[in-house]
Amino acid sequence: MMWGFHLEFKQSLRTKKLWVILGIMILLYIPVFYIIKSVGGSEITVGGAMAFLIQFVTGMAGFFIGILALLMGATAINSEVEKGTLRVAMSKPIKRISYIGGKFLAHSVVLLLALLLSTVVGIAGVVWLGAPLTSELIRDVLLLNMLLLIAMIQLVALGYIISTLIKSSGSALGMALVLAFIMFLIMPNVVGYLTFKAISDHPNMSYEELHQLRKDYTTKYLFYVPTSQVSVITEDVSSTDENLANTTYYGLPHAIKKNPVNLGILIGLTVAYLGIGFFRFLRMDLR
Amino acid sequence: MLKIENLVKTYKDVKALDGLNLEVKPGQIYGFLGPNGAGKSTTILSTLGLIFPQEGRIQLFDVEVFKDGKFDEAKLVEVKKRIGYMPEHATLWDFLTPVQTLDIIADAFNIPKAEKEKRINELLNLVGLSDDRNRKVGKFSKGMRQRLLLAQALINDPELLILDEPMTGLDPTGIAEFKEIIREQKKAGKTVFFSSHILAHVEEICDTVGVIVKGKLRVEDNLESIKREFLRKAGYTILVETNVPVDWSPSGWNVTPLGEKRYRIAAEEDIREGVHDYVASQGAKILTMQVKEPSLEEIFLKMVE
Repeated sequence: MMWGFHLEFKQSLRTKKLWVILGIMILLYIPVFYIIKSVGGSEITVGGAMAFLIQFVTGMAGFFIGILALLMGATAINSEVEKGTLRVAMSKPIKRISYIGGKFLAHSVVLLLALLLSTVVGIAGVVWLGAPLTSELIRDVLLLNMLLLIAMIQLVALGYIISTLIKSSGSALGMALVLAFIMFLIMPNVVGYLTFKAISDHPNMSYEELHQLRKDYTTKYLFYVPTSQVSVITEDVSSTDENLANTTYYGLPHAIKKNPVNLGILIGLTVAYLGIGFFRFLRMDLR
Repeated sequence: MLKIENLVKTYKDVKALDGLNLEVKPGQIYGFLGPNGAGKSTTILSTLGLIFPQEGRIQLFDVEVFKDGKFDEAKLVEVKKRIGYMPEHATLWDFLTPVQTLDIIADAFNIPKAEKEKRINELLNLVGLSDDRNRKVGKFSKGMRQRLLLAQALINDPELLILDEPMTGLDPTGIAEFKEIIREQKKAGKTVFFSSHILAHVEEICDTVGVIVKGKLRVEDNLESIKREFLRKAGYTILVETNVPVDWSPSGWNVTPLGEKRYRIAAEEDIREGVHDYVASQGAKILTMQVKEPSLEEIFLKMVE
């Protein structure tokens, strides 16, 4: 398994799209923290800062690294077939499963490094806002990275399926971008509209009921968007009273326990996509 | 060494291989010829398990690696340790240097470190890339990439070398060096199976030729036998030069004058003895007489027709 890993790891770290996407993401962090600080960040509570960090990293890293993961997967196999490097590699005494396994492992490590980079910048931001660096924060940040990593792996695996279906890496890249646009921008807005419509049909709903309805709609209609499933989970790291005045922080383990269905969907679809992607690679003609 | 029986590969509704039979024996330099789309690359890719045929059998080193529509991957991986492959239209990883490329390829064969370093140096010398050992492959010309592709195919000192259109993109010096490397492989007792559309190269270095047309092998033999068989089927052309003009009309043969004392005789069989006697009976002498040998190109074109 290590043979494909070394090569893919080096290759992934050298792709321009990785550094361009990470660069844009990190650049966007700076104004966000600056604005929070200038509009009263000094009054931020510890719980509030932690809740903000978790949800901010979920949103930013989920979107940017999510696109990266999908693009990475969508060109993982077809571009190597086009260049002929896959024919060279697979003519050597290596099993196909070892090769794709090593490739997948390398992609996972690169995505984890990207997530950690995003998290470290996020932590630096909340510390700069005045929140203390506690062991609880570190634990939750690590758990968050694990959740996001599963989401990213799901997107890479979806990319592998695209990569085995579309021979041209250029077309696959285009397809992945369209898919990302639909998954991250169009569908969440469509579901947001449906939620809003349902809420307006029931004007007497409590804050808690509204929150639950929104979660139910996301679970039901955005089950195929892994970052949305992570968002549903991370929303429960804290609660804010109805006047939006006080934030109580419960932590990520509490949020995960409270949303087993979303965690199940996240893991289940990841395994299914990986299975399909790997199976297709094992049976595909490398020409 | 390599035996293919009744191999069938269909892409959607196009039959790329239509019951292909082929055998490469140990020590042969086997030239695999065919027009574009005849199935040359499909045959090679099938042999290495890179594409999946639907029917037939493939044996490598007497090990059955493909049968009943399935590859035995464990056996295939094992025999690949003894094979070197150079693909057509391929490049290597642009961000690596030749040394790094060969190092990574050598790792796939679990070659020990000390032996690996020695082998890499030898191969870079052999293919003339020693001076560029630390340059990125992305900056290489097509010819340099071809040289590196050959080096990676030789990293495991293979018993069977499979080359798919290996001389494409090489300059005349490169082609000459390449041919020399292939000859060296034969001297070392290795087997070389290579596809090409440049017939002159095949004619020059191969001892056995296979011609594939529309997924079927039309002929497989040594060059001499192929030429003899071609002459037997297509007829002989005899070129004769005599000391004085000869009247051929009583002979009944199909004779075309090429000059005052030079003639071309077309016959269904080798009639050189008869020509000799006839010329003598006319009181003339033969200065030169030869059977015009068909080139591989003529044979190839005839088969493709």
